[in-house]
Amino acid sequence: MIEILQQIINGMAIGGVYVLIALGLTTVFGILGIAHFAHGSVSMFGGYLTFFLMTSQGLPLAVAILVALATGFVLGLLIELLAYRPVRSASHINAFIVALGLTMMVEGLNLEFFGHEQVVIPTDFNRVFDIGGVTIPELRLYVILAAALLIATMTIFVEKTKTGQAIRAVAENRDAAILMGVNVNTIPLVVFAISTMLGVCAGIMVGALFAIAPGIGEGLVIKGFAVLILGGLGSIPGAVIGGLVLGITEALAAGFLSSAYKDVIAFVVMITVLLVRPQGLMGKA
Amino acid sequence: MGDDTYMLNVIAYDDEANPTGASNAVRKLIDRDGVKFILGFCCSGATGAVASFIGNEDAVMLVGNAAERSITTRGISNLTRTRPPADYTGAAAGTFVADKGHKRVAVLGALDVGFYASYVDAFEKELNAAGGEIITREAFGLKDRDMTPQLTKIREQNPDAILVVGYVEPAAFIYRQAVELGIDVPRYGFTSGSEEQFLRVASSEQMEGVWDLRPTELTLLSATETGIAYHANYSARFGIAPSPSSPYAYDQTYALKHAIEAAGTVEDTAAVAAALRELPVPPEVVMQYLPVDGKMFDVNGQAYTSNGAFQWQDGNWVFVQDLPSDAAAYSAFLSTLD
Amino acid sequence: MTLKPTHALWLAALVSFALLPQFIAVKYYLHLSILALIWVIAAQGQNLIQGYTGYVSIVQAGFIGIGAYSTALMGLHYDLPVWLTILLAPVVTAVFALGIGYPSLRVKGHYFAIVTLAFNLVIFIVLMNWHTLTQGEAGITGIPKPGSPDGWFNWRDRETYYYFVLIVAALMTGLAALITRSRIGQVLIAIRQNEDLVGAIGISAWKYKLFAFVTSAMFAGLAGAIYAHYQSFINPEIFGVAQSLDAILAVIIGGSGTIAGPVIGAFFVVFLPEYLRFADSFRLIIYGLVLVLATIFMPRGIVGVATSFSDWFMRRRR
Repeated sequence: MIEILQQIINGMAIGGVYVLIALGLTTVFGILGIAHFAHGSVSMFGGYLTFFLMTSQGLPLAVAILVALATGFVLGLLIELLAYRPVRSASHINAFIVALGLTMMVEGLNLEFFGHEQVVIPTDFNRVFDIGGVTIPELRLYVILAAALLIATMTIFVEKTKTGQAIRAVAENRDAAILMGVNVNTIPLVVFAISTMLGVCAGIMVGALFAIAPGIGEGLVIKGFAVLILGGLGSIPGAVIGGLVLGITEALAAGFLSSAYKDVIAFVVMITVLLVRPQGLMGKA
Repeated sequence: MGDDTYMLNVIAYDDEANPTGASNAVRKLIDRDGVKFILGFCCSGATGAVASFIGNEDAVMLVGNAAERSITTRGISNLTRTRPPADYTGAAAGTFVADKGHKRVAVLGALDVGFYASYVDAFEKELNAAGGEIITREAFGLKDRDMTPQLTKIREQNPDAILVVGYVEPAAFIYRQAVELGIDVPRYGFTSGSEEQFLRVASSEQMEGVWDLRPTELTLLSATETGIAYHANYSARFGIAPSPSSPYAYDQTYALKHAIEAAGTVEDTAAVAAALRELPVPPEVVMQYLPVDGKMFDVNGQAYTSNGAFQWQDGNWVFVQDLPSDAAAYSAFLSTLD
Repeated sequence: MTLKPTHALWLAALVSFALLPQFIAVKYYLHLSILALIWVIAAQGQNLIQGYTGYVSIVQAGFIGIGAYSTALMGLHYDLPVWLTILLAPVVTAVFALGIGYPSLRVKGHYFAIVTLAFNLVIFIVLMNWHTLTQGEAGITGIPKPGSPDGWFNWRDRETYYYFVLIVAALMTGLAALITRSRIGQVLIAIRQNEDLVGAIGISAWKYKLFAFVTSAMFAGLAGAIYAHYQSFINPEIFGVAQSLDAILAVIIGGSGTIAGPVIGAFFVVFLPEYLRFADSFRLIIYGLVLVLATIFMPRGIVGVATSFSDWFMRRRR
């Protein structure tokens, strides 16, 4: 029993990261219909930047995070304006190819600026809590709590604020939204800015808890899309549940089935959901 | 050489650590640049690809630190390798751990990588011979950094010791997460990482007492005078300490120099390749070799360095002792493989 | 059949490919040309599903890998002749493609791309971890060349292999042209333009999509088999997602939905890195930039640009 509980706790940390990645992807996809494949590499850029600000510029963690978030905001705007807006009216395949190209560019830039060595964001959270035989390091606990906080903020933003309502209006019916006076040129900008900031948060969490290295971002974005397929496209609750399900499935698969094939098992779950329930766990049929 | 002096003209290409990239680079060296002697090769996949065709080429290939065993079991007469295969070290490590009295060992490794798996196989054989066993083999991928699921499973099985084989980047996380999960059995490993690489991930307290059982390579605590001088010169000239792979390149270069002198030709690559096989250990080399029949490379073209047990003590890797390694017996075993 | 200008162009291209080895002084470039011709086969397949049907598949390198491993393993374990295992490799690949295509094609657009990418990862993980079958990362060595040592052709000679690959690549390009000109091809193009409409007029689009996907995989399987016997060595590293992206790049750069596109694109992806001998990071940046700019400014690839240019030229002359 302790073993199962421990595995669930193990899976929740990476699951929380998956949720954040998936949230960024799902808002972009749900509203703009773009599979933003570069999201993982952009997220890793956020993590790298935080590390750089702390170690080379001597900024404290909190300040570094704020600067990285502000950079993420601007980066999101640029990505929308320069890369995706020119192909907005072309077929979806073009946007996806742009996304692939963007991924290569960001991966290359990360490599150029930050090198190929793995990077770990230093933190002071070294305590380990032991609750009846189930251990949880302090840092993991904070990551899970921070992810929960971000999910709640995101939900309130989309449900309660005026901008959030405009975003939802565009997602549901673009033409009607235009008639209602929503500016369809600013909405994509807002969506990309928010999505990139969520990605930066995920990148920082990965960098603090694990490590950032070339290729990690691509791995994460694939898991993020798996979460979307699991949870249902464009659905925030779907992303949350899908992310946790994927993280915990991986931990349980590695612990009880086969550690070599844990990723395969996670993809098998995804493909099974696709066959049985193509609209995802939380999607509307 | 004789009355003629030859300068080594170095042409370098990136093998991109991938088989196609390496094949392309070597094709270009041989076909376009007319290169006869090719040194380097760190990665098993890339080296394997080149080794598969080098036997038909008019060139000599000196492999540095690619650890995949099959590279020197294929009977390629124009190929030699400086680093011993991983299972040669694994057997020595198995004996060492068994001598410590551990009976039930849990393995966590990059087992999809061939030479790590062969290290564990050889380790297991020696452990079994001493009455011990490997109770579980858990794997992780190259990009995995969260090994808590595997470690939790291991924790439930109450091993006497754990053995970690893999690249330093993930291995450092394993050592840290093992402590975080409250696993307090001895930790052995085969990672060859530097202090700095580990401390980026884990604290010195979390690393305390970890063993690394690996080829001795260039270790100041056990090095010869030439080795110490090399370390000093390199550090003075380049401003950083030599990387673990640099002595392989250095020693290869001297082996090649002596072989060319012994063969008396730079044109006849077959003669140089044969001379390499007959070469005693040159005086300039910086690592410690265990010659077989008095020669640096055995009939398979394989050299053997000593293996060592290192332990993390107060923030540093400390050389504790040589591992019991039998180069002659391993060489005979290697000759039986194909 | 009248001889159209395009036919004359194809004939000229074929003649220059046939003469190419006579002009190559450095054998290294012959080696690259062989690799490029192998890529032509894989890219023609990729073009069927991506360029004509409009579904971006990111598993082409995985299929190349299945083809390469199946020819090598069949030769190793059943002692079959090389030419037979090369012919069987696409069939084995097709079986896998059926299993992968059926669930993947239930989703459209981007999701299809992601699901196929997941399958490429699965193929890679299995090739790496199933040691008893694939020998893992160490790979399979000593894969034999076609023909016997005392046969008519010396297959160790790269020129011989070049002509062999050239013939296969030309045949497969011809086959791709036949498919796309047939009724099936017309349906595939219709699916790309408006899938709902195809369904509405009573054609079951999924059969055609599955056909395109499986055929595309068979092209890849054949390319993989030829690659394996050329290099004599395979390991999983070259059958990953990065190489699948190269296949996509080849189609886009050359001109997606055209027959000449993949030919040009394949040479582009093989030779471009030769002339971009920068550090890895720069190569990635330039590749990515080329992809983004090409999609925005020349969505029809090199062939598209050339066509518009020649149209413009023709109009000027009149």
